[in-house]
Amino acid sequence: MRASRDQALTGFRTDAASPGPLALLSEAIADIRSRRPLVRYLVEADMKRRGSDTLLGNFWWVMDPLLQMAVYVVLVTVISQRTIPDYPLFIFAAILPWKWFNAAVIDATVSLVEQDRLIKRISFPKIVLPLAATTAGVAGFTFGLIPLAGIMLLYADRISPFLLFIPLVAVVQYAFTLAVALLVSAGNVFFRDLGNTTRHLLRLWWYLSPGLYSLALLDESGIFRDLPVLRVLASANPFAVLFEAYRSIIYGSVDGPPGPPDLVSLAVLMTGSLLFLALAMMVFKRLEPNFAKVL
Amino acid sequence: MSDVAAVPLAAFDDAGQPDDFAMLVEDLGVRYDLRFNRKTPIRQSISAALTRQPTRQFWALRHVSLRLLHGESLAVIGPNGAGKSTLLQVLGGIIRPSEGRVEARGRVSGLLTLDIGFDRQLTGRENARLGCAFLGLEDSVTRQIMPGILEYAGLGEFIDAPLKTYSAGMRARLGFAIATSVDPDILLLDEVLATGDAVFRQKSKARVVELVRAAKAVVLVTHDMQWVTEYCNRAILIEKGAMIMEGDPQAVVELHRERTAEARARAEAKAVAAGADAKALVGR
Repeated sequence: MRASRDQALTGFRTDAASPGPLALLSEAIADIRSRRPLVRYLVEADMKRRGSDTLLGNFWWVMDPLLQMAVYVVLVTVISQRTIPDYPLFIFAAILPWKWFNAAVIDATVSLVEQDRLIKRISFPKIVLPLAATTAGVAGFTFGLIPLAGIMLLYADRISPFLLFIPLVAVVQYAFTLAVALLVSAGNVFFRDLGNTTRHLLRLWWYLSPGLYSLALLDESGIFRDLPVLRVLASANPFAVLFEAYRSIIYGSVDGPPGPPDLVSLAVLMTGSLLFLALAMMVFKRLEPNFAKVL
Repeated sequence: MSDVAAVPLAAFDDAGQPDDFAMLVEDLGVRYDLRFNRKTPIRQSISAALTRQPTRQFWALRHVSLRLLHGESLAVIGPNGAGKSTLLQVLGGIIRPSEGRVEARGRVSGLLTLDIGFDRQLTGRENARLGCAFLGLEDSVTRQIMPGILEYAGLGEFIDAPLKTYSAGMRARLGFAIATSVDPDILLLDEVLATGDAVFRQKSKARVVELVRAAKAVVLVTHDMQWVTEYCNRAILIEKGAMIMEGDPQAVVELHRERTAEARARAEAKAVAAGADAKALVGR
């Protein structure tokens, strides 16, 4: 009744020496490739868990970004008396990707610490845990496309074929998110304070990124006039690139219809994110042998 | 510490065929860095750095060498906190040695836990699937062995209820069923024989015996000395991270008993002395 012996008979060899950076990287990739089913189960489990506690279940995946949008619409249009045309769509294009990033990073932070018992007792590639946290966010993002479609119907003149660029921008975001997720999950094992810090840093990051506003609006307001270096910093923010790209294909601009995203800056961000991801994988694999001891 | 019996390090240097082993442990050492383990507030860390305190380190195991042959069943005994579980963690590839090396030939699987992959919101069936994936089983294998796991766990229709509705005994049954479903070449067991009610204990003991027979090599941590002498053909005694003795189970158990009795006598003497002091204090 037990497993037939159709799996490769593997052994292992360990000693105190740590492999070189490239060996660590290839180990990380092999870990991910060999444990894809596990990641899939973890993602499914995560989705089920989110849906099972509440009356509305997975309907919250749809409601959540809408309610958040409503809050910001009230905040910005009523309280600060700003008028940006079709503002609900304007911010929804940023809320949707941000919710994914935010949830992925917060979930990843605790992904290793939460499974301490497992890590201390079973040998498995720990990288699957933050990977699953990041990937589960893709599901939320995809569900979020439903309310997006609903809002788009209200602003039908902004519907364009450029919407087909969404998956491309999402891929860039995924690479960047995974890198951040790996680093915070491993870091939180050693410094639990990171969990507390991350939430606040994420909030700050959201307000500093052109989500509720656009870089063009900032240019108009003239706050960069005296300090051009701020303009450079603002556009170097990965979420400036991502938000501007999403907005360009979903909303367009304040006075114009949607258009293609800035492919050059997306390509730069993708290259940077992949390098960052490779670095994050190396760091993660370097720290991994200590997890069982520290947890 | 090692005055009682010299660890026969030489035993595996002249063991004839150097390649015929299931697991080889050479001069193994595991060091814990207490800097991260005991949560130190940053204030203390800074003052420690300023006053140049050496980083606090602790060797959970040191200079342990072992050679596990195919067909062997090795018992690891010793008092609490001796480093037995750490040894199993290293043998299972969970912890990397800080010193020395470990080599395993064949699939190593450990019953170091009975609650694998347990997620309280998921059903028993889903947990079983998740547990198998954590253990590294492929999908096709999992599908094949799932009926067996469910049957052994014997949870009836509860198998499709969320785990949070389970009793501790039901969780243990399911965990045991999952953990023993892997078919390893080298089996690591950590005190798994002492859980559950009498019926389950009987059943699990039978299952472990079956696994021990099927596996090519077994390493077992236990306090059940009867088990050691009955089912193991070799034993090692570990105390405070050092290997005190290796050899015939009967002899090792005997030594362990003596040393435990000595330690107890010492502790009692201390307690008596302390009691006398206390009396003296009261009398004053």
